[in-house]
Amino acid sequence: MTALSTAAGIGSTRTVGTAALRVEDLRILTGRGRYVDDLKFPGMLHAAFLRSPFAHARILSIDVSAALELPGVVGIFTGADMAARTTGIEPLVAPPGFRSEPVFGLAIDKVRLVGDPVAIVVADSRYIAEDACELIDIDYEQLEAIGTFEQALDPSGPKVFESLDSNIMLEMSNSYGEVDESFAEAELIVRRTFAQHRVAQVPMEGRGGVSHFDPESGNFVYYTGTQSPHSLKGYISQALGVPLEQTRVVNGDIGGAFGLKIATHREDVALCAASYWLGRPVKWIEDRNEHLLASGQAREERMELEAAVNRDGTILAMRGTMVLDQGAYPAVPFVGGGIVGLIATMMPGPYAFRGFAMSSQVVASNKCTYSAYRAPWAMETWARERMINVIAAELDLDPAAVRRKNFAANDGSVSMLSGATLLDNSCAQTLERVLELGEYDRLRTEQAAARAQGRCVGIGFATFIEGAPGPAAGRGLNEQSIARVEPDGQLSIFTTQAPNGQGHETTLAQIASDEMGIPIGNVKIYHGDTADTPYALIGTGGSRAATLASGSVLHSSRKLKANVLELAAEMLEANPSDLVIEDGLIHPIGVPTVHLTLAEVAARAYAEPADTSEPVLAEPTLTAEAAYDGGIGSWSAGTHFCHVEIDLQTGQVKILRYLVVEDCGRMINPAVVEGQVRGGVAQGVGEVLFEWSAYDDQANFLAGTFMDYLLPTASEVPRIDIEHLENEPNEEVFFRGVGEGGLLIAPAAITNAIEDALSPYGAQINDQYLPPAKILELAKVI
Amino acid sequence: MKLPPFEYRTPETVEETVELLGEFGDEAKILAGGQSLIPLLAMRLSRPAVVIDINNVNELNTISNGSGLSIGALTRHRTAERSALVQSSAPMLVAALGYVGHDAIRTRGTIGGSVAHADPAAELPTVLTALGGSVSATSARGTRSIAADDFFEGFLSTSLADDELLTAIQLPPRPDRSGWSFNEFSRRSGDFALVGVAVSIELDESGTVVDARIAMSGVAGEPTRAIEAETALRGNPAGPESFATAAAAAAAEINPSADLHGTTAYRKHLAGILVRKGLNEACDRAKGTR
Amino acid sequence: MTTTPTTQSVQLTVNGVARSGETENRKTLVDFLRDDLELTGTHVGCEHGVCGACTILLDGEPVRSCLMLAVQANGRSLETIEGLGSPDDLSPLQQAFRESHGFQCGFCTPGFVMTTVALLRENPDPSEAEIRHCLSGNLCRCTGYQSIVEGVKSAALALQAGENR
Repeated sequence: MTALSTAAGIGSTRTVGTAALRVEDLRILTGRGRYVDDLKFPGMLHAAFLRSPFAHARILSIDVSAALELPGVVGIFTGADMAARTTGIEPLVAPPGFRSEPVFGLAIDKVRLVGDPVAIVVADSRYIAEDACELIDIDYEQLEAIGTFEQALDPSGPKVFESLDSNIMLEMSNSYGEVDESFAEAELIVRRTFAQHRVAQVPMEGRGGVSHFDPESGNFVYYTGTQSPHSLKGYISQALGVPLEQTRVVNGDIGGAFGLKIATHREDVALCAASYWLGRPVKWIEDRNEHLLASGQAREERMELEAAVNRDGTILAMRGTMVLDQGAYPAVPFVGGGIVGLIATMMPGPYAFRGFAMSSQVVASNKCTYSAYRAPWAMETWARERMINVIAAELDLDPAAVRRKNFAANDGSVSMLSGATLLDNSCAQTLERVLELGEYDRLRTEQAAARAQGRCVGIGFATFIEGAPGPAAGRGLNEQSIARVEPDGQLSIFTTQAPNGQGHETTLAQIASDEMGIPIGNVKIYHGDTADTPYALIGTGGSRAATLASGSVLHSSRKLKANVLELAAEMLEANPSDLVIEDGLIHPIGVPTVHLTLAEVAARAYAEPADTSEPVLAEPTLTAEAAYDGGIGSWSAGTHFCHVEIDLQTGQVKILRYLVVEDCGRMINPAVVEGQVRGGVAQGVGEVLFEWSAYDDQANFLAGTFMDYLLPTASEVPRIDIEHLENEPNEEVFFRGVGEGGLLIAPAAITNAIEDALSPYGAQINDQYLPPAKILELAKVI
Repeated sequence: MKLPPFEYRTPETVEETVELLGEFGDEAKILAGGQSLIPLLAMRLSRPAVVIDINNVNELNTISNGSGLSIGALTRHRTAERSALVQSSAPMLVAALGYVGHDAIRTRGTIGGSVAHADPAAELPTVLTALGGSVSATSARGTRSIAADDFFEGFLSTSLADDELLTAIQLPPRPDRSGWSFNEFSRRSGDFALVGVAVSIELDESGTVVDARIAMSGVAGEPTRAIEAETALRGNPAGPESFATAAAAAAAEINPSADLHGTTAYRKHLAGILVRKGLNEACDRAKGTR
Repeated sequence: MTTTPTTQSVQLTVNGVARSGETENRKTLVDFLRDDLELTGTHVGCEHGVCGACTILLDGEPVRSCLMLAVQANGRSLETIEGLGSPDDLSPLQQAFRESHGFQCGFCTPGFVMTTVALLRENPDPSEAEIRHCLSGNLCRCTGYQSIVEGVKSAALALQAGENR
């Protein structure tokens, strides 16, 4: 018996599985959302950061005197203040052997990237703060900068951190199964080098916060938009030396995050320090140039990969080496470079290889911090799904046939080489369905005809599994929630999620209302305030909400319902097991006319009934807590299918059709699921065709405006058709996350299609970034 | 990204404006639609002491047709786009305006602002050059007309003197049997072009090219005439052969610099592609088949 | 050299209501709306005129409020997201966007909504291509745009069905 069929009675209030309208939209569509920049406090000041124009330079001196004299300037702090009065923060979650120095809010002795914050200016307005930044005089001694993998790895070259003897921050080797044996036996070895370019998360709302220290109470509140309120709170407390119990982090609405806002940023520390030292509320809102320059970037990896294959398409093993550019400073608490471990363990994906090995290096450079971006481990999926197509081409086999040949059994008899279960993943099913929907065979026939007419068309597809939460995710990072019936009968849910567009106020309310048997409008989801939400290291991230947060809310609501029924049974002089809650009314099964409301039960629990001498607070209480760790874990899966036509005159790639078949178990809210998938695919379109956080080889940043960093618009993102398979995992909580799959797989589907289109010209796609000029180079037009 | 402090003046006549320009010279910047100046100010890439806002100078908000079309500097892109007079007299301009940013840019952006800003990737300087147009420049010293070919001098740079105000652009009447085209390629909808090509062509009764003007954007610091391509066309029959020769000549005579969005070779290639396409379209229009 | 005051008073109409304030000459209109008039529904996304989050209507036409000075709005009539329906009474356009699950994080939303208001006033029955072309001046990072396009389509239908307001 599944969880929800034992939940609320089958009443009109059930919404799980429907595209319930979003609770959030009422404020968002009317301009009543409350984002960080909407906050205003009496006496609030405004901060601006002065940032380094150089990629690598020693700070010889800083003179702030002229800036301090500008009317309206209240305070200026530099690295010296940070060094003297704050504690550096360090990653909490880093692989063994990871090397770093503690990170301070501002650069101290030298700057390590263009955009490194050097001073924070606090003034009556942001305008004045920016005026003052221009009056600060800094003497720099420029140092040789590290802008490429080769420069970073050159033992005689400059070092990003001089206390460390090299720029290699981490080395890791993973080897599973029979690698050397497979390569010795293989009929053919196929080699390619794949590179992902640097891109960025670019939420439409950048970073920012209002740090509000009240000297009288000693209370410190940081209003911001973070995916991880509790870990941010811990770092602020630690860095400033404010007692943890007097520190609080509060989110409002968050204008997107995509992994960027999971970190505690250096600007958070500097801003909070400035407010703490001045005893005034201080607001900092990142502008778009700062954002593109210095907030976070992702995905700069290069992988040399070889595959041991047989001529029938069997892939025996893959092995390779990888290098990742973490930029200058490590992200905290999750070191970006730490993703190399997940890349290595995930790379075999849904396929049954006999062996897999990867040696990885993480290097530091004079670039922006490598940070989490939706599907941070995506390098493995892209390189693998590209390699499978390369193998197919090499063997003159259909790429679908090679995938079919190598899919692992999903009956539990085969595990991923790194140990994770592949039970019930539906990759093979999604591949077959997408080929059917995409009319693959017909398109292949048409492609031959189109090529004969000189048209350049291609078909590509790629398959993924998404750990959402995945077998490895739940352990030690379970998700808590608290459910409470309020005196008026409303249900309050306190979640550790920190929603930034995912619609959790709706989806978690759907779960809770179905479980409790009350209308969704009677549920309110509380989130983002460390004062009333349960502790979590992560918050929102890793596609944890659909399974873990939902599972937790399901269980806390279920526990609470049992308490409600117990109290109601006492009041109705019935047996709890004979009662149900339907449409918000508690009544004996089949006797809806005899009923209680939740408010009446709450009155019994919270207030002394006038005619008795019952205790004020009845047991059981109308508060329940639960934690959920994801059970044995399982996968979302899918195959994306992309049909492109390339204009060989301009190099423009037009996506004729984009088709998704995915399986995330039962959908809580199909419209939310589809929004997540489409948004991810759009980012994938951007990543391949438009977006590049470009640096030159001296680490000068080249993409600091929206005219340089190109987000795709409604004219560039194609229509994306989605079909859902809803294979429910055989578990109590059968919802799976879809936050990352879209971006995880879209680059592979698109680049496979483009390589297919360009195959008559002998093109090999090894770099993921394919702007028009590159397309024409690949097609040998220029 | 907040604007630096500046003194702000709001003249109501051309006379007052040029008086202020005379007073402040290169210390002053003219604010018209603001679609280029405000971002430059916000990024603090421009630091004028004085901003002279000409949005109240109503006499600059005119469109008239005498010996050619004259469009006042303050005419909004949207107004020009929708003007029946502009549509009939300068269809190339209307086509080009369709590529300028987005609706919300064109409602504010002005004809004079786009031309005076002289962005090498922008549409209007290219149109002005291809049509052999001119600008009127007024100062306290009087008004002069500057031909487009003499107006654009390099990246964001024109021959307008510090005390001069661009008051209008003029486009000559279209000769008989003439045709036009405007094409550009940008990475996204509404972006500045990687390369844009405006073509104005005049044929004789036998289909021989009498005159051709080809202007390209995005290939140098200013709108660039494809002189060799034009020469190759003049006196030759309009057709695939001469167009291919001209396209090759246009690609060969430029040396665009590479940037994030396109290499030198790519831009040269694109220029050739767009010139050939543009010549075909312009020729069809001249022959009345388009 | 004579100097002019660095601040000026501004009188304007916002969503049909007369408003006024004293503003620095250099202040952008969007900063004035948000800081001085406390109308924080209009968002600041890039401050260089690309993202469209700050789109409002100026005398009925869409403009980027980050690319205008507040003083330039003197005597003008503005429409912002706050002038449409309220949470208890969404306008048909807002309702259409809600039903299409048009938005996720909501930061770009006000710009898209105001751009759509202008579009549908001028072209009550736009094709999908026209909608996409018009919306291409607004950036959204969450949705992939399809749900927004669907919202515009159903808003157009609702408005044609006479739910104009």
